[in-house]
Amino acid sequence: MIEFHNVTKRYESGFQALSNVSLQLNDGQMAFITGHSGAGKSTLLKIIAMIEKPTRGQALLNRINLNNLSRQRIPFLRRNIGIIFQDHQLPFDRPVFENVALPLQIQGYRPQEIAKRTRAALDKVGLLQKEKSLPITLSGGEQQRVGIARAVVHKPMLLLADEPTGNLDPMLSREIMQIFIDFNQVGVTVLVASHDLRLIEELDKPRLTLNAGKLILNDLDQYDSGDQYGSS
Amino acid sequence: MARHNVRRRKPPTINQISAYFLHHLQSLIFSLGKIYQAPTTTIMTVAVIGITLSLPGGFYLFLKNIEAVSGDFRSSTQISLYLDLGTSEKQARRLEKDIAGMDSVATTRFISRAQSLEEFRRDSGFGKSIDTLSSNPLPHTIVVEPDEAETFTVRSLQNRLQAIPEVKIAKLDTEWLERLYTIIEIAKRSVTIITILFAFAVLLIIGNTIRLDIQNRYQEIIVTKLIGATDAFIRRPFLYGGVWYGLLGGIISWLIVEIGYLSISGPLARLNLLYKSDMNLITFSFQDFVVLIASSTLLGLAGSWIAVARHLNQIEPT
Ligand SMILES: Nc1ncnc2c1ncn2[C@@H]1O[C@H](COP(=O)(O)OP(=O)(O)OP(=O)(O)O)[C@@H](O)[C@H]1O
Ligand SMILES: [Mg+2]
Repeated sequence: MIEFHNVTKRYESGFQALSNVSLQLNDGQMAFITGHSGAGKSTLLKIIAMIEKPTRGQALLNRINLNNLSRQRIPFLRRNIGIIFQDHQLPFDRPVFENVALPLQIQGYRPQEIAKRTRAALDKVGLLQKEKSLPITLSGGEQQRVGIARAVVHKPMLLLADEPTGNLDPMLSREIMQIFIDFNQVGVTVLVASHDLRLIEELDKPRLTLNAGKLILNDLDQYDSGDQYGSS
Repeated sequence: MARHNVRRRKPPTINQISAYFLHHLQSLIFSLGKIYQAPTTTIMTVAVIGITLSLPGGFYLFLKNIEAVSGDFRSSTQISLYLDLGTSEKQARRLEKDIAGMDSVATTRFISRAQSLEEFRRDSGFGKSIDTLSSNPLPHTIVVEPDEAETFTVRSLQNRLQAIPEVKIAKLDTEWLERLYTIIEIAKRSVTIITILFAFAVLLIIGNTIRLDIQNRYQEIIVTKLIGATDAFIRRPFLYGGVWYGLLGGIISWLIVEIGYLSISGPLARLNLLYKSDMNLITFSFQDFVVLIASSTLLGLAGSWIAVARHLNQIEPT
């Protein structure tokens, strides 16, 4: 699913956020990215989400090289990914239902199908009764769950989450992580960046640890590869 | 798994073309909803567009009326025949009768030397000095009105009348009319320039409104890009927003001009009554209306297109 070959990312400021990172995440695997603040976790996810491009090395998503993508192809590739970013809020002037339905509308689903899938996704995060509310009237945790519903409503192959439990209480954090694990169990590849070491420890999933842009720990191959068919 | 996913996703999507039209419809309604949700901003923008467009619209209507009135004048073109001083009144009256029978002549009117002098004494205010003249310097005059206003016919009639021996001068009273036409021509060009300038102003107004709209929806645009929206998809609601602004602004400008027209036509009716004239104001024809609304709508689309092209592509998630 995801392959990094000696990926280095240097921002325009000259700051090197990733240095020679190589990794391979197979279809159906789930992993956590950890590391100190500024270690490069978000940067790594942004490269996969085609928000940033590697300065050197190669990043591949489903064997497609992300280094030299044309602008027109990016939207279609992004439709295979569900992205949950802590700091990317929801459009506040649309009700929850509209927010979650957006990916389906973009992809041209039939209205009845949109309604069905949107309700299913909202049900999954336990917000079905809030479908008509505006996001601004929801709590932080509820907003985060709306974001998750929107990221999974179109059944993406890959789920990326950057600090999804950033400012949530431990109970809610555990619930949210459980949602990710549930998705992973039905075959979705999941990559989560998180500070929450205690929670990660509990969950027993492979870890990628970054330190000042270097990948210092990668125990992906010590876990089940997650891919029954052999990977790319 | 990738292959599996693609197969799973395919059936529920409608075909590309109906999805495309569906989103057009959704954008149309969505942008209308935005307008409904922000009535103050919308009313202000639409009012500015309406007022701006009402100026060229009003000038256009004014010109149209002037042209219509001058058309009336053209049909009242006259040729004045000043006869030789030596012509007797009897000869002159016979000549009038002959001329009345000529081709292209509608009516004739005879003004004798004495009448002319009397009129001149009365109208000019030089009564006293005229009395000191030993003889009447004014000739007999025949005023000929052609039966049609077409320039060639009038000119050829003038030439035929000039050829009559007793006629000293056959004068076509159209010089002032030609001058009027020149003025109208100048006015027409001014209206064209005003229209271009104001159309440009509307373009800027709409462009700026859409630019602010894009800025306000910055976060939403980024989110939409991140979930795989194409540029065209993101562009659409903004373009429809521009179309609505243009359309509504056009209707407002039409209303403004119509109200102005109504407020003038009242006093004009009274004037007609007083002077027993029948000047009629012309208002927008249906065709004018369609052109006005269509061009303001197009301006809306063009203005938003410029804003979208300049600002939307710069917004990328970071
Ligand atoms: N657009 C940018 N331009 C310049 N430097 C950047 C940019 N984005 C991030 N950086 C720098 O790159 C480094 C890594 O940033 P990144 O956001 O990947 O860290 P992180 O591991 O996600 O940290 P945190 O846990 O605090 O979110 C930081 O030092 C940051 O200052
Ligand atoms: Mg981060």
